[in-house]
Amino acid sequence: MSLMQVRLGFVPLIDCALPVVARAKGFAEDENIDLVLVREMSWAAIRDKLSYGLFDAAHLLAGIPLAARLGLGGMPSQHLVVPMALGRGGNAITVSTRLYQCMLEADPAAMRGPRGLSARALKKVIDGDRAAGRPVLSFATVFPFSSHNYELRYWMAAAGIDPDNDVNIGVIAPSRMFDSLRNGWVDGYCVGEPWNQRAVFHGDGVIVALKDDIWARSPEKVLGVREDWALSNAETLDALVRALVRAAEWADQSENRTELAQLLSEEQYVGASFDILRASLHGRPVLKPGDDPVEAPDRHVFYRYTATFPWLSQGVWVGRQMQRWGQVGHQVNFNDVVRDVYRPDIYRRAVTSLDVALPVEDWRVEGLDNASDRALVGPDSFLDGTLFDMRA
Amino acid sequence: MNLADFSILVIDENPDRAAIVERGLVEGGYTRVSRIGTSFNLVERIQALAPDIIIIDLENPDRDTLEQMFQVSRAISRPIAMFVDQSDSSMIRESVEAGVSAYVVDGLRQDRIRPIVEMAISRFNAFHQLRRERDEAMAKLSERKLIDRAKGLLMQEKGLTEAAAYNLLRKNAMKQNRKIYEIAQSVITAFQLEF
Repeated sequence: MSLMQVRLGFVPLIDCALPVVARAKGFAEDENIDLVLVREMSWAAIRDKLSYGLFDAAHLLAGIPLAARLGLGGMPSQHLVVPMALGRGGNAITVSTRLYQCMLEADPAAMRGPRGLSARALKKVIDGDRAAGRPVLSFATVFPFSSHNYELRYWMAAAGIDPDNDVNIGVIAPSRMFDSLRNGWVDGYCVGEPWNQRAVFHGDGVIVALKDDIWARSPEKVLGVREDWALSNAETLDALVRALVRAAEWADQSENRTELAQLLSEEQYVGASFDILRASLHGRPVLKPGDDPVEAPDRHVFYRYTATFPWLSQGVWVGRQMQRWGQVGHQVNFNDVVRDVYRPDIYRRAVTSLDVALPVEDWRVEGLDNASDRALVGPDSFLDGTLFDMRA
Repeated sequence: MNLADFSILVIDENPDRAAIVERGLVEGGYTRVSRIGTSFNLVERIQALAPDIIIIDLENPDRDTLEQMFQVSRAISRPIAMFVDQSDSSMIRESVEAGVSAYVVDGLRQDRIRPIVEMAISRFNAFHQLRRERDEAMAKLSERKLIDRAKGLLMQEKGLTEAAAYNLLRKNAMKQNRKIYEIAQSVITAFQLEF
Protein backbone atom coordinates (compact mmCIF):
# COMPACT_ATOMS: atom_id res chain seq x y z
CA MET A 1 0.00 0.00 0.00
CA SER A 2 1.45 3.37 -0.97
CA LEU A 3 1.76 6.04 1.67
CA MET A 4 -0.45 9.13 1.68
CA GLN A 5 1.65 12.26 1.83
CA VAL A 6 0.64 14.87 4.41
CA ARG A 7 2.56 18.15 4.55
CA LEU A 8 2.54 19.59 8.06
CA GLY A 9 4.00 22.96 9.06
CA PHE A 10 5.41 23.52 12.56
CA VAL A 11 7.17 26.18 14.58
CA PRO A 12 10.30 25.11 16.51
CA LEU A 13 9.01 24.79 20.09
CA ILE A 14 8.89 21.86 22.50
CA ASP A 15 5.20 21.43 21.75
CA CYS A 16 5.91 20.53 18.12
CA ALA A 17 6.83 17.18 19.70
CA LEU A 18 3.80 15.20 18.49
CA PRO A 19 4.31 15.63 14.73
CA VAL A 20 8.06 15.14 15.17
CA VAL A 21 7.56 11.92 17.16
CA ALA A 22 4.87 10.72 14.76
CA ARG A 23 7.38 10.95 11.94
CA ALA A 24 10.59 9.94 13.69
CA LYS A 25 9.18 7.02 15.70
CA GLY A 26 7.16 5.56 12.85
CA PHE A 27 3.63 6.22 14.15
CA ALA A 28 2.72 8.08 10.96
CA GLU A 29 4.11 5.32 8.76
CA ASP A 30 2.12 2.75 10.78
CA GLU A 31 -0.96 4.65 9.63
CA ASN A 32 0.27 4.70 6.01
CA ILE A 33 1.13 8.37 6.16
CA ASP A 34 4.26 9.92 4.75
CA LEU A 35 4.38 12.88 7.15
CA VAL A 36 6.46 15.67 5.61
CA LEU A 37 7.42 18.23 8.25
CA VAL A 38 8.16 21.83 7.26
CA ARG A 39 9.76 24.16 9.79
CA GLU A 40 8.43 27.73 9.87
CA MET A 41 9.60 30.71 11.90
CA SER A 42 6.38 32.71 11.94
CA TRP A 43 2.76 32.02 12.93
CA ALA A 44 1.48 34.29 10.17
CA ALA A 45 3.42 32.27 7.59
CA ILE A 46 2.13 28.95 8.90
CA ARG A 47 -1.46 30.25 8.92
CA ASP A 48 -1.21 31.51 5.33
CA LYS A 49 0.44 28.37 3.99
CA LEU A 50 -2.22 26.22 5.61
CA SER A 51 -5.05 28.46 4.44
CA TYR A 52 -3.91 28.46 0.82
CA GLY A 53 -3.06 24.81 0.48
CA LEU A 54 0.73 24.77 0.72
CA PHE A 55 0.27 22.68 3.88
CA ASP A 56 -2.35 20.01 4.58
CA ALA A 57 -2.06 20.38 8.34
CA ALA A 58 -0.33 22.62 10.86
CA HIS A 59 0.83 23.02 14.45
CA LEU A 60 -1.19 26.10 15.42
CA LEU A 61 -1.84 28.42 18.33
CA ALA A 62 -5.32 27.68 19.70
CA GLY A 63 -6.52 31.18 18.82
CA ILE A 64 -5.51 31.11 15.16
CA PRO A 65 -8.32 28.92 13.76
CA LEU A 66 -10.92 30.97 15.68
CA ALA A 67 -9.46 34.29 14.53
CA ALA A 68 -9.23 32.92 10.99
CA ARG A 69 -12.88 31.86 10.99
CA LEU A 70 -13.90 35.38 12.04
CA GLY A 71 -11.58 37.02 9.52
CA LEU A 72 -9.72 38.92 12.26
CA GLY A 73 -6.38 40.62 11.84
CA GLY A 74 -7.12 41.94 8.36
CA MET A 75 -7.35 38.44 6.93
CA PRO A 76 -10.18 37.13 4.77
CA SER A 77 -12.16 34.49 6.65
CA GLN A 78 -10.67 30.99 6.48
CA HIS A 79 -12.46 27.79 7.34
CA LEU A 80 -9.94 25.95 9.45
CA VAL A 81 -10.95 23.18 11.84
CA VAL A 82 -9.36 21.69 14.94
CA PRO A 83 -9.69 17.89 15.14
CA MET A 84 -7.35 17.58 18.15
CA ALA A 85 -5.13 19.43 20.60
CA LEU A 86 -1.36 18.87 20.56
CA GLY A 87 -0.82 18.63 24.31
CA ARG A 88 -0.59 21.38 26.84
CA GLY A 89 1.84 23.17 29.08
CA GLY A 90 5.20 24.61 28.21
CA ASN A 91 4.55 28.33 28.45
CA ALA A 92 6.01 30.61 31.09
CA ILE A 93 6.44 34.26 31.91
CA THR A 94 10.08 35.29 32.03
CA VAL A 95 11.35 38.71 33.10
CA SER A 96 14.81 40.23 32.77
CA THR A 97 17.11 39.77 35.76
CA ARG A 98 16.91 43.55 36.23
CA LEU A 99 13.11 43.57 36.43
CA TYR A 100 13.24 40.51 38.68
CA GLN A 101 15.43 42.42 41.16
CA CYS A 102 12.98 45.35 41.09
CA MET A 103 10.04 42.99 41.73
CA LEU A 104 11.89 41.31 44.58
CA GLU A 105 12.64 44.66 46.22
CA ALA A 106 9.15 46.02 45.64
CA ASP A 107 7.27 43.10 47.19
CA PRO A 108 9.36 40.26 48.66
CA ALA A 109 6.24 38.60 50.10
CA ALA A 110 4.54 38.32 46.71
CA MET A 111 7.73 36.88 45.22
CA ARG A 112 7.78 34.08 47.78
CA GLY A 113 4.74 32.61 46.08
CA PRO A 114 2.43 31.29 44.95
CA ARG A 115 3.97 32.08 41.56
CA GLY A 116 0.58 32.75 39.98
CA LEU A 117 0.35 35.90 42.10
CA SER A 118 3.86 37.23 41.36
CA ALA A 119 2.33 40.01 39.25
CA ARG A 120 1.48 41.76 42.54
CA ALA A 121 5.16 42.64 42.77
CA LEU A 122 5.11 43.81 39.18
CA LYS A 123 2.18 46.06 40.02
CA LYS A 124 4.27 47.74 42.74
CA VAL A 125 7.16 48.22 40.31
CA ILE A 126 4.80 49.81 37.78
CA ASP A 127 3.31 52.14 40.42
CA GLY A 128 6.81 53.15 41.53
CA ASP A 129 7.96 53.75 37.94
CA ARG A 130 4.92 55.92 37.28
CA ALA A 131 5.48 58.02 40.41
CA ALA A 132 9.11 58.51 39.41
CA GLY A 133 8.22 59.36 35.80
CA ARG A 134 10.11 56.39 34.38
CA PRO A 135 9.12 54.90 31.00
CA VAL A 136 6.61 52.04 30.99
CA LEU A 137 7.81 48.44 30.85
CA SER A 138 7.61 46.46 27.63
CA PHE A 139 6.44 42.87 27.36
CA ALA A 140 6.14 40.54 24.42
CA THR A 141 4.00 37.59 23.46
CA VAL A 142 4.20 35.48 20.31
CA PHE A 143 1.07 36.44 18.39
CA PRO A 144 -2.06 38.57 18.91
CA PHE A 145 -4.28 35.44 19.08
CA SER A 146 -2.06 33.32 21.29
CA SER A 147 -2.67 31.65 24.63
CA HIS A 148 0.56 33.44 25.64
CA ASN A 149 -1.08 36.81 25.12
CA TYR A 150 -4.13 35.78 27.14
CA GLU A 151 -2.09 34.14 29.92
CA LEU A 152 0.18 37.17 30.31
CA ARG A 153 -2.85 39.46 30.45
CA TYR A 154 -4.71 37.18 32.86
CA TRP A 155 -1.72 37.11 35.21
CA MET A 156 -1.35 40.90 35.08
CA ALA A 157 -5.05 41.74 35.36
CA ALA A 158 -5.48 39.48 38.40
CA ALA A 159 -2.96 41.72 40.18
CA GLY A 160 -4.72 44.93 39.16
CA ILE A 161 -2.48 45.78 36.19
CA ASP A 162 -4.19 47.12 33.06
CA PRO A 163 -2.26 45.37 30.26
CA ASP A 164 -3.43 47.93 27.69
CA ASN A 165 -2.36 51.04 29.59
CA ASP A 166 0.11 50.18 32.33
CA VAL A 167 2.61 48.33 30.09
CA ASN A 168 3.41 47.95 26.40
CA ILE A 169 2.62 44.51 25.01
CA GLY A 170 4.02 43.72 21.59
CA VAL A 171 4.59 40.61 19.52
CA ILE A 172 7.91 38.94 18.73
CA ALA A 173 8.28 35.56 17.00
CA PRO A 174 9.37 32.82 19.49
CA SER A 175 12.85 32.32 18.14
CA ARG A 176 13.63 36.03 18.52
CA MET A 177 12.37 36.39 22.10
CA PHE A 178 15.59 35.48 23.80
CA ASP A 179 17.72 38.04 21.93
CA SER A 180 15.12 40.72 22.58
CA LEU A 181 15.32 40.15 26.33
CA ARG A 182 19.09 39.87 26.32
CA ASN A 183 19.43 43.14 24.39
CA GLY A 184 16.99 44.95 26.65
CA TRP A 185 14.35 45.57 23.96
CA VAL A 186 11.74 43.98 26.22
CA ASP A 187 11.58 43.58 30.01
CA GLY A 188 9.66 40.32 29.96
CA TYR A 189 7.74 37.88 27.81
CA CYS A 190 5.39 34.95 27.70
CA VAL A 191 6.56 32.24 25.31
CA GLY A 192 6.67 28.45 25.02
CA GLU A 193 9.71 26.39 25.92
CA PRO A 194 12.61 26.17 25.28
CA TRP A 195 12.76 29.99 25.10
CA ASN A 196 12.16 30.60 28.83
CA GLN A 197 14.56 27.97 30.03
CA ARG A 198 17.16 29.26 27.61
CA ALA A 199 17.04 32.77 29.11
CA VAL A 200 17.55 31.28 32.58
CA PHE A 201 20.42 28.99 31.47
CA HIS A 202 22.17 31.97 29.90
CA GLY A 203 21.65 34.14 32.99
CA ASP A 204 19.49 36.72 31.23
CA GLY A 205 16.07 36.04 32.71
CA VAL A 206 14.05 34.66 35.59
CA ILE A 207 10.84 32.66 35.22
CA VAL A 208 8.22 34.28 37.47
CA ALA A 209 5.21 32.13 36.54
CA LEU A 210 4.67 28.85 34.73
CA LYS A 211 1.59 28.28 32.62
CA ASP A 212 0.42 25.81 35.26
CA ASP A 213 0.56 28.56 37.87
CA ILE A 214 -1.89 30.65 35.83
CA TRP A 215 -4.29 27.94 34.73
CA ALA A 216 -3.25 24.30 35.07
CA ARG A 217 -5.51 23.00 32.31
CA SER A 218 -5.05 25.91 29.92
CA PRO A 219 -5.16 25.00 26.23
CA GLU A 220 -2.05 25.26 24.10
CA LYS A 221 -1.31 24.23 20.53
CA VAL A 222 -3.81 22.50 18.28
CA LEU A 223 -3.76 20.62 15.02
CA GLY A 224 -5.30 22.75 12.28
CA VAL A 225 -6.56 21.59 8.87
CA ARG A 226 -8.79 23.19 6.25
CA GLU A 227 -12.43 22.22 6.50
CA ASP A 228 -12.60 21.23 2.80
CA TRP A 229 -9.48 19.11 3.16
CA ALA A 230 -10.96 17.40 6.24
CA LEU A 231 -14.08 16.56 4.26
CA SER A 232 -12.38 15.19 1.18
CA ASN A 233 -9.59 13.38 3.07
CA ALA A 234 -11.54 12.00 6.03
CA GLU A 235 -9.65 8.70 6.15
CA THR A 236 -6.26 10.37 5.95
CA LEU A 237 -7.27 12.86 8.63
CA ASP A 238 -8.41 10.07 10.97
CA ALA A 239 -5.13 8.26 10.36
CA LEU A 240 -3.19 11.45 11.07
CA VAL A 241 -5.08 12.00 14.34
CA ARG A 242 -4.37 8.41 15.37
CA ALA A 243 -0.67 8.76 14.55
CA LEU A 244 -0.43 11.96 16.58
CA VAL A 245 -2.35 10.50 19.53
CA ARG A 246 -0.04 7.48 19.58
CA ALA A 247 2.94 9.84 19.36
CA ALA A 248 1.48 11.72 22.35
CA GLU A 249 1.25 8.51 24.34
CA TRP A 250 4.90 7.76 23.59
CA ALA A 251 6.05 11.32 24.36
CA ASP A 252 4.24 11.36 27.71
CA GLN A 253 6.20 8.42 29.15
CA SER A 254 8.90 9.76 31.45
CA GLU A 255 11.30 7.04 30.26
CA ASN A 256 11.05 8.45 26.72
CA ARG A 257 11.65 12.08 27.63
CA THR A 258 15.44 11.97 27.32
CA GLU A 259 15.16 10.48 23.84
CA LEU A 260 12.55 13.12 23.03
CA ALA A 261 14.91 15.88 24.17
CA GLN A 262 17.61 14.39 21.93
CA LEU A 263 15.23 14.23 18.98
CA LEU A 264 13.96 17.78 19.40
CA SER A 265 17.48 19.15 19.78
CA GLU A 266 18.17 18.29 16.12
CA GLU A 267 18.54 21.36 13.93
CA GLN A 268 15.70 20.31 11.63
CA TYR A 269 13.27 20.31 14.59
CA VAL A 270 13.71 22.70 17.53
CA GLY A 271 17.47 23.05 17.32
CA ALA A 272 17.96 24.09 20.97
CA SER A 273 20.50 22.64 23.39
CA PHE A 274 19.81 19.16 24.73
CA ASP A 275 20.36 20.24 28.37
CA ILE A 276 17.75 22.98 28.16
CA LEU A 277 15.20 20.71 26.47
CA ARG A 278 15.83 17.89 28.92
CA ALA A 279 15.41 20.11 32.01
CA SER A 280 12.05 21.28 30.74
CA LEU A 281 10.83 17.92 29.43
CA HIS A 282 11.65 16.13 32.67
CA GLY A 283 9.49 18.62 34.58
CA ARG A 284 12.47 20.00 36.45
CA PRO A 285 12.85 23.55 35.15
CA VAL A 286 15.31 26.00 36.65
CA LEU A 287 13.49 29.25 37.37
CA LYS A 288 16.39 31.51 38.33
CA PRO A 289 20.02 31.39 37.18
CA GLY A 290 22.04 29.37 39.68
CA ASP A 291 19.02 27.94 41.50
CA ASP A 292 18.20 24.26 41.88
CA PRO A 293 15.47 22.99 39.57
CA VAL A 294 11.90 22.99 40.86
CA GLU A 295 9.53 20.05 40.58
CA ALA A 296 6.91 20.75 37.93
CA PRO A 297 5.77 17.27 36.81
CA ASP A 298 3.01 18.69 34.57
CA ARG A 299 5.31 21.15 32.80
CA HIS A 300 4.73 19.30 29.51
CA VAL A 301 1.64 17.13 29.24
CA PHE A 302 1.23 15.42 25.88
CA TYR A 303 -1.25 12.62 26.45
CA ARG A 304 -2.60 12.17 29.98
CA TYR A 305 -5.41 14.37 31.29
CA THR A 306 -7.13 14.39 27.85
CA ALA A 307 -4.34 16.65 26.57
CA THR A 308 -5.11 15.80 22.95
CA PHE A 309 -8.90 16.19 23.21
CA PRO A 310 -10.27 19.35 21.52
CA TRP A 311 -12.39 20.58 24.44
CA LEU A 312 -15.12 22.99 23.33
CA SER A 313 -14.95 24.79 26.67
CA GLN A 314 -11.26 25.54 26.12
CA GLY A 315 -11.94 26.97 22.67
CA VAL A 316 -14.72 29.13 24.10
CA TRP A 317 -12.37 30.36 26.84
CA VAL A 318 -9.88 31.48 24.18
CA GLY A 319 -12.67 33.23 22.27
CA ARG A 320 -13.89 35.03 25.38
CA GLN A 321 -10.36 36.27 26.03
CA MET A 322 -10.37 37.78 22.52
CA GLN A 323 -13.48 39.67 23.57
CA ARG A 324 -12.14 40.59 26.97
CA TRP A 325 -9.17 42.33 25.36
CA GLY A 326 -11.11 44.02 22.59
CA GLN A 327 -9.88 41.91 19.66
CA VAL A 328 -13.46 41.14 18.68
CA GLY A 329 -16.83 42.55 19.70
CA HIS A 330 -19.20 41.02 22.24
CA GLN A 331 -21.83 40.38 19.57
CA VAL A 332 -19.87 37.28 18.48
CA ASN A 333 -21.26 34.11 20.07
CA PHE A 334 -18.19 31.94 20.62
CA ASN A 335 -20.27 28.97 21.71
CA ASP A 336 -21.43 28.79 18.08
CA VAL A 337 -18.10 29.70 16.46
CA VAL A 338 -16.24 27.07 18.48
CA ARG A 339 -18.73 24.37 17.54
CA ASP A 340 -17.90 25.08 13.89
CA VAL A 341 -14.14 25.07 14.43
CA TYR A 342 -13.38 22.61 17.23
CA ARG A 343 -14.29 19.10 16.10
CA PRO A 344 -14.38 16.59 18.96
CA ASP A 345 -16.61 14.48 16.68
CA ILE A 346 -13.66 13.92 14.33
CA TYR A 347 -11.39 13.09 17.27
CA ARG A 348 -13.86 10.57 18.69
CA ARG A 349 -14.34 9.00 15.24
CA ALA A 350 -10.59 8.75 14.61
CA VAL A 351 -9.59 7.14 17.93
CA THR A 352 -12.37 4.54 18.12
CA SER A 353 -9.87 1.77 17.41
CA LEU A 354 -7.43 3.02 20.06
CA ASP A 355 -7.69 2.65 23.79
CA VAL A 356 -7.98 6.37 24.57
CA ALA A 357 -9.77 7.69 27.66
CA LEU A 358 -12.57 9.95 26.47
CA PRO A 359 -14.72 12.43 28.40
CA VAL A 360 -18.50 11.91 28.35
CA GLU A 361 -19.19 15.51 27.26
CA ASP A 362 -17.26 17.70 24.83
CA TRP A 363 -17.09 20.53 27.38
CA ARG A 364 -16.77 21.02 31.13
CA VAL A 365 -16.76 23.78 33.72
CA GLU A 366 -13.12 24.86 33.50
CA GLY A 367 -11.26 25.57 36.72
CA LEU A 368 -13.30 22.98 38.60
CA ASP A 369 -10.55 21.20 40.49
CA ASN A 370 -10.99 17.95 42.40
CA ALA A 371 -14.27 17.22 40.62
CA SER A 372 -15.47 13.68 39.86
CA ASP A 373 -13.48 13.72 36.58
CA ARG A 374 -10.18 14.56 38.30
CA ALA A 375 -8.49 11.31 37.30
CA LEU A 376 -9.40 11.91 33.67
CA VAL A 377 -8.65 15.63 33.32
CA GLY A 378 -5.96 16.21 35.95
CA PRO A 379 -5.41 19.24 38.14
CA ASP A 380 -7.43 22.27 37.10
CA SER A 381 -7.52 25.67 38.73
CA PHE A 382 -7.14 29.30 37.75
CA LEU A 383 -4.72 31.43 39.75
CA ASP A 384 -7.63 33.49 41.10
CA GLY A 385 -9.81 30.47 41.86
CA THR A 386 -12.57 31.45 39.42
CA LEU A 387 -14.61 29.00 37.36
CA PHE A 388 -15.25 29.30 33.65
CA ASP A 389 -18.66 27.99 32.60
CA MET A 390 -19.19 28.43 28.86
CA ARG A 391 -22.98 28.36 29.36
CA ALA A 392 -22.81 31.56 31.40
CA MET B 1 -3.30 59.37 -6.29
CA ASN B 2 -0.45 59.17 -8.81
CA LEU B 3 1.94 56.28 -8.91
CA ALA B 4 4.66 58.58 -7.66
CA ASP B 5 2.62 59.36 -4.57
CA PHE B 6 2.42 55.80 -3.32
CA SER B 7 4.79 55.17 -0.47
CA ILE B 8 5.92 51.55 -0.65
CA LEU B 9 8.03 49.79 1.96
CA VAL B 10 9.83 46.54 1.15
CA ILE B 11 10.87 44.49 4.20
CA ASP B 12 13.18 41.62 3.39
CA GLU B 13 16.05 39.87 5.16
CA ASN B 14 17.45 39.02 1.74
CA PRO B 15 19.00 42.22 0.36
CA ASP B 16 19.35 40.80 -3.17
CA ARG B 17 15.69 39.94 -3.42
CA ALA B 18 14.70 43.30 -1.90
CA ALA B 19 16.81 45.09 -4.49
CA ILE B 20 15.16 43.20 -7.34
CA VAL B 21 11.69 44.09 -6.05
CA GLU B 22 12.65 47.69 -5.47
CA ARG B 23 14.10 48.05 -8.96
CA GLY B 24 10.96 46.58 -10.48
CA LEU B 25 8.74 49.03 -8.65
CA VAL B 26 10.90 52.04 -9.48
CA GLU B 27 11.02 51.04 -13.15
CA GLY B 28 7.25 50.69 -13.00
CA GLY B 29 6.93 54.33 -12.05
CA TYR B 30 6.71 54.09 -8.27
CA THR B 31 9.34 56.46 -7.00
CA ARG B 32 8.75 56.38 -3.25
CA VAL B 33 10.11 52.95 -2.45
CA SER B 34 12.08 52.25 0.73
CA ARG B 35 13.49 48.99 1.96
CA ILE B 36 14.63 47.73 5.33
CA GLY B 37 16.03 44.46 6.59
CA THR B 38 15.42 43.10 10.05
CA SER B 39 15.47 45.66 12.82
CA PHE B 40 14.40 45.64 16.43
CA ASN B 41 12.74 49.05 16.18
CA LEU B 42 10.52 47.97 13.32
CA VAL B 43 7.42 49.69 14.71
CA GLU B 44 9.13 53.08 15.01
CA ARG B 45 10.64 52.81 11.54
CA ILE B 46 7.31 51.98 9.97
CA GLN B 47 5.65 54.85 11.80
CA ALA B 48 8.33 57.21 10.52
CA LEU B 49 8.02 56.01 6.92
CA ALA B 50 4.19 55.89 7.01
CA PRO B 51 3.96 53.54 4.00
CA ASP B 52 0.75 53.02 2.04
CA ILE B 53 1.80 49.49 1.23
CA ILE B 54 4.23 47.09 2.86
CA ILE B 55 5.63 44.21 0.81
CA ILE B 56 7.26 41.58 3.01
CA ASP B 57 8.42 38.07 2.34
CA LEU B 58 5.82 35.61 3.59
CA GLU B 59 8.16 33.72 5.92
CA ASN B 60 9.64 36.74 7.65
CA PRO B 61 9.14 36.41 11.45
CA ASP B 62 8.59 40.19 11.58
CA ARG B 63 5.12 39.55 10.16
CA ASP B 64 3.92 38.37 13.57
CA THR B 65 5.08 41.69 15.01
CA LEU B 66 3.42 43.62 12.18
CA GLU B 67 0.08 41.90 12.62
CA GLN B 68 -0.05 42.90 16.28
CA MET B 69 0.95 46.42 15.41
CA PHE B 70 -1.85 46.76 12.87
CA GLN B 71 -4.35 45.50 15.42
CA VAL B 72 -3.50 48.06 18.03
CA SER B 73 -4.78 51.28 16.54
CA ARG B 74 -2.79 53.52 18.83
CA ALA B 75 0.46 51.95 17.66
CA ILE B 76 0.11 53.36 14.18
CA SER B 77 -1.62 56.42 12.84
CA ARG B 78 -3.23 54.65 9.89
CA PRO B 79 -4.76 51.21 10.16
CA ILE B 80 -3.33 48.58 7.85
CA ALA B 81 -4.81 45.30 6.76
CA MET B 82 -3.74 42.47 4.55
CA PHE B 83 -4.18 43.58 0.99
CA VAL B 84 -6.62 41.03 -0.13
CA ASP B 85 -10.33 41.06 -0.22
CA GLN B 86 -12.13 37.79 -0.32
CA SER B 87 -13.01 38.06 -4.00
CA ASP B 88 -9.38 37.90 -4.93
CA SER B 89 -8.51 34.42 -3.78
CA SER B 90 -6.59 33.44 -6.92
CA MET B 91 -4.32 36.40 -6.41
CA ILE B 92 -3.75 35.59 -2.74
CA ARG B 93 -2.92 32.04 -3.68
CA GLU B 94 -0.46 33.26 -6.27
CA SER B 95 1.20 35.53 -3.76
CA VAL B 96 1.39 32.86 -1.05
CA GLU B 97 2.96 30.47 -3.55
CA ALA B 98 5.45 33.13 -4.59
CA GLY B 99 6.24 33.84 -0.93
CA VAL B 100 4.94 37.40 -1.01
CA SER B 101 2.82 39.02 1.65
CA ALA B 102 1.41 42.53 1.46
CA TYR B 103 -0.22 44.88 3.94
CA VAL B 104 -1.95 48.06 2.86
CA VAL B 105 -3.50 51.10 4.44
CA ASP B 106 -7.19 50.50 4.86
CA GLY B 107 -9.37 52.02 2.17
CA LEU B 108 -6.88 51.95 -0.68
CA ARG B 109 -8.67 50.81 -3.80
CA GLN B 110 -8.02 47.26 -4.88
CA ASP B 111 -7.23 48.29 -8.46
CA ARG B 112 -4.43 50.56 -7.23
CA ILE B 113 -2.90 47.83 -5.11
CA ARG B 114 -3.10 45.01 -7.61
CA PRO B 115 -0.31 46.15 -9.97
CA ILE B 116 2.05 46.66 -7.05
CA VAL B 117 1.42 43.23 -5.63
CA GLU B 118 1.62 41.68 -9.09
CA MET B 119 4.96 43.35 -9.62
CA ALA B 120 6.21 41.98 -6.30
CA ILE B 121 4.97 38.49 -7.18
CA SER B 122 6.67 38.50 -10.56
CA ARG B 123 9.90 39.81 -9.07
CA PHE B 124 9.87 37.19 -6.31
CA ASN B 125 9.28 34.51 -8.91
CA ALA B 126 12.07 35.91 -11.07
CA PHE B 127 14.41 35.94 -8.09
CA HIS B 128 13.64 32.34 -7.21
CA GLN B 129 14.03 31.34 -10.85
CA LEU B 130 17.46 32.97 -10.90
CA ARG B 131 18.41 31.19 -7.73
CA ARG B 132 17.24 27.86 -9.13
CA GLU B 133 19.29 28.44 -12.26
CA ARG B 134 22.30 29.33 -10.17
CA ASP B 135 21.87 26.15 -8.10
CA GLU B 136 21.54 24.10 -11.26
CA ALA B 137 24.65 25.76 -12.71
CA MET B 138 26.55 24.94 -9.53
CA ALA B 139 25.35 21.36 -9.72
CA LYS B 140 26.42 21.16 -13.38
CA LEU B 141 29.82 22.49 -12.42
CA SER B 142 30.29 19.79 -9.83
CA GLU B 143 29.13 17.15 -12.36
CA ARG B 144 31.76 18.52 -14.75
CA LYS B 145 34.39 18.19 -12.03
CA LEU B 146 33.40 14.57 -11.30
CA ILE B 147 33.72 13.66 -14.97
CA ASP B 148 37.12 15.36 -15.24
CA ARG B 149 38.36 13.54 -12.18
CA ALA B 150 37.15 10.15 -13.46
CA LYS B 151 38.77 10.83 -16.83
CA GLY B 152 42.02 11.72 -15.09
CA LEU B 153 41.96 8.48 -13.10
CA LEU B 154 41.27 6.39 -16.20
CA MET B 155 44.06 8.13 -18.12
CA GLN B 156 46.53 7.71 -15.28
CA GLU B 157 45.66 4.19 -14.20
CA LYS B 158 44.57 2.60 -17.46
CA GLY B 159 46.81 4.56 -19.85
CA LEU B 160 43.86 5.85 -21.90
CA THR B 161 43.80 9.06 -23.89
CA GLU B 162 41.40 11.75 -22.75
CA ALA B 163 39.02 11.05 -25.63
CA ALA B 164 39.10 7.30 -24.97
CA ALA B 165 38.45 7.84 -21.25
CA TYR B 166 35.45 10.04 -22.03
CA ASN B 167 34.11 7.58 -24.58
CA LEU B 168 34.39 4.77 -22.05
CA LEU B 169 32.36 6.75 -19.53
CA ARG B 170 29.78 7.66 -22.16
CA LYS B 171 29.46 4.12 -23.48
CA ASN B 172 28.83 2.75 -19.98
CA ALA B 173 26.34 5.50 -19.21
CA MET B 174 24.37 4.61 -22.36
CA LYS B 175 24.55 0.91 -21.67
CA GLN B 176 23.34 1.29 -18.08
CA ASN B 177 20.90 4.06 -18.87
CA ARG B 178 22.55 6.41 -16.39
CA LYS B 179 24.04 9.88 -16.50
CA ILE B 180 27.73 10.24 -17.36
CA TYR B 181 28.49 11.95 -14.05
CA GLU B 182 26.92 8.99 -12.21
CA ILE B 183 29.26 6.61 -14.00
CA ALA B 184 32.12 9.01 -13.21
CA GLN B 185 31.15 8.86 -9.56
CA SER B 186 31.21 5.04 -9.67
CA VAL B 187 34.62 5.08 -11.32
CA ILE B 188 36.00 7.40 -8.65
CA THR B 189 34.52 5.25 -5.89
CA ALA B 190 35.97 2.11 -7.50
CA PHE B 191 39.45 3.60 -7.62
CA GLN B 192 39.12 4.82 -4.06
CA LEU B 193 38.23 1.29 -2.98
CA GLU B 194 41.21 -0.14 -4.81
CA PHE B 195 43.74 2.06 -3.10
